[in-house]
Amino acid sequence: MKFKADEIASVIQKEIEDFRGQIQTAEVGRVIEVGDGIARCTGLSSSMAGEMVEFPGGVRGLAFNLEENSVGVVILGDYLKIKEGDEVKSTGTLLSVPVGDALLGRVVDPLGNPMDGKGPIMSSESRPVEHEAVGVAGRQPVKVPLQTGIKAVDAMTPIGRGQRELIIGDRKTGKTAVAIDTILNQKGTGVKCVYVACGQRSASIAGVVEVLRQHGALDYTIVVASSSADPAPMQYIAPYSGAAMAEHFMYNGEDTLIVYDDLSKQAIAYRQLSLLMRRPPGREAFPGDVFYCHSRLLERAVKLSDELGGGSMTALPIIETLEGEVSAYIPTNVISITDGQIYLEPDLFWKGIRPAINVGISVSRVGGNAQTKAMKKIAGSLRLDLAAFRELEAFAQLGTELDAATQQQLDRGYRMVELLKQPQYQPLHAADQVMVIYAGAKGYFDKVPVPEVQEAERALLEFMKTEHSDVRDKLIEKAELSAEIEDGLKAALTAFIARRASAS
Amino acid sequence: MSEQLKTQIDRVLDDPGAKAVASLYAQSYMTSAQQSGVEDACGELESFVTEVLGKSPEFRSLLFSDSLSREDKLGLISRVLTPNCSEYFSNFLKVLVHHGRIDLVDQVQKEAVLVQEQLSGQRRVQIRTSKPLSESSRSQITDQLKNKLGFDPILQESVDESLIGGLIIQVGDTVYDSSLRTRLKTLAGRLTERTLNEIQSGRDRFSHPEGN
Repeated sequence: MKFKADEIASVIQKEIEDFRGQIQTAEVGRVIEVGDGIARCTGLSSSMAGEMVEFPGGVRGLAFNLEENSVGVVILGDYLKIKEGDEVKSTGTLLSVPVGDALLGRVVDPLGNPMDGKGPIMSSESRPVEHEAVGVAGRQPVKVPLQTGIKAVDAMTPIGRGQRELIIGDRKTGKTAVAIDTILNQKGTGVKCVYVACGQRSASIAGVVEVLRQHGALDYTIVVASSSADPAPMQYIAPYSGAAMAEHFMYNGEDTLIVYDDLSKQAIAYRQLSLLMRRPPGREAFPGDVFYCHSRLLERAVKLSDELGGGSMTALPIIETLEGEVSAYIPTNVISITDGQIYLEPDLFWKGIRPAINVGISVSRVGGNAQTKAMKKIAGSLRLDLAAFRELEAFAQLGTELDAATQQQLDRGYRMVELLKQPQYQPLHAADQVMVIYAGAKGYFDKVPVPEVQEAERALLEFMKTEHSDVRDKLIEKAELSAEIEDGLKAALTAFIARRASAS
Repeated sequence: MSEQLKTQIDRVLDDPGAKAVASLYAQSYMTSAQQSGVEDACGELESFVTEVLGKSPEFRSLLFSDSLSREDKLGLISRVLTPNCSEYFSNFLKVLVHHGRIDLVDQVQKEAVLVQEQLSGQRRVQIRTSKPLSESSRSQITDQLKNKLGFDPILQESVDESLIGGLIIQVGDTVYDSSLRTRLKTLAGRLTERTLNEIQSGRDRFSHPEGN
């Protein structure tokens, strides 16, 4: 197709003719001082808290502190270009980001600008970054499960759509891995995902994006990236921007999942801003409203009532602890805001139990209602059994003689621990999880040597898929362990164990 | 080293805190002068700043210095100034000294001029144009502003060639921008937006309908 110069010229001409330049009215002020990502301005006498302002050169800012004689502005962009005496213009609008389907599969900065070199984002819609959470009447209880595909999580700390489940642990314990596996497992379920990287290394963000792309998960995921090299204001608003993008889908009746990786870095960015703005420091030098900073963010995760379309936003905030110190300020805050936590431990991680979830202290306060019937039936006693096993294990280390029943309980415990191990990026379908845990809990793996349990699990899943797919299909369809399905499962498991015994 | 090293950079703008204080003093000075019928209070303050402080810097530094006690300063004012000025003005200076704000007197004077303008129904309006204003357009703008805004504008003109055409009017913190530069910028934004939409719709025709 060739361009027709006349046609284009006439279009432009028409556009210019239609263009009636209205007088633009704006409120202005001047920069008195600038540095470290913030500016103090005079004037702007009627600007609002959280209003967007514009510096010369198009750099945007956020009115953060309204004082008697000046306005403290956080600069969202390159603050080195702003000088004392520059004119600041108020825009009369709140900070907002583009939202919509055009963002799926893209990597954007916290202002919604593309960072992945795939061209401009064509989105006509936008949403304010800060948005009030839905009230009491607009919500309904969490009852639909959000399958993470991780056996230890889905069985013992189940997550429901609209829940806020904290992932907490020391550095290098696989926190991001749990979140990424959850995103990967949403493939084909219609759940839209947002991954907010806040204060991460750029290399790790690139790694996450690559994993998502390889597993085809980027098609339904938005990545909001603010690396540790970005100015503190960007890191501070990144989670709110991500929430705004997810809210758009949620209010359209869709289910969404948002991962905040991680909120401790966001709190640190917020602390920096607040201290520069001379807000008084509190515990650990965090400002007094750091709790509100997180609570208003996580309160936006919700299961909407049917009148509002029934959409949901499930939030998986991540908090990094130092040396397992969960009683530090930010971890206690976020623990108290969320509906439960998945606690990851370095000791377990180095023992090879991965995901390194400490099932004893991980909880889910609302997810139980959201479990499928099948899972609820088999996982009911799992947590208690494992707790009893841990106690026995400690006791057995003393080298005492054990009776046969105790020894048998120990053996099964070892095998259950093996079964709950799961390689990264391999989320399992809920039905597969049910079959595996059923087999373990009912003792079908008791004869399998402990080091071979994982291999036997894989073989079992393969066996069920190829030779007893009817049982599996029924389980997927009904999502409950009826007598008929259970009988079918028992028969299949017996056949499987018999075949393994004869093969060896 | 040819240039002396500075520990603090020059300020472009006034300290907003000091300005707010000075404005408060100026407001009180002018309104109370009006109420008690003192004439030309603003002129007296101005002549004090230019004639006394401006012409004898030693007196200025003496008055502003911290080494002189408050009582000494008050005595100085009574001896030197009171015989030569109105009682109202010398009282005002004594109040400033008493509150330790005498060093703000220059700013108070500047603010007093603004307050006086305000009291007489005038306000300053900054006008930026691409070319110097002609006499006729100046009077036209003054009339228009008077009609629209309801006060006597004092025009402060400046020429900025980068505006290309049109003018920018600033009253207080509010800016009315009808310059050609801004209009062209808006037009450019709209044209690009339009083009981007065209590109997108063109791209959508070839892409798979589900996702991009």
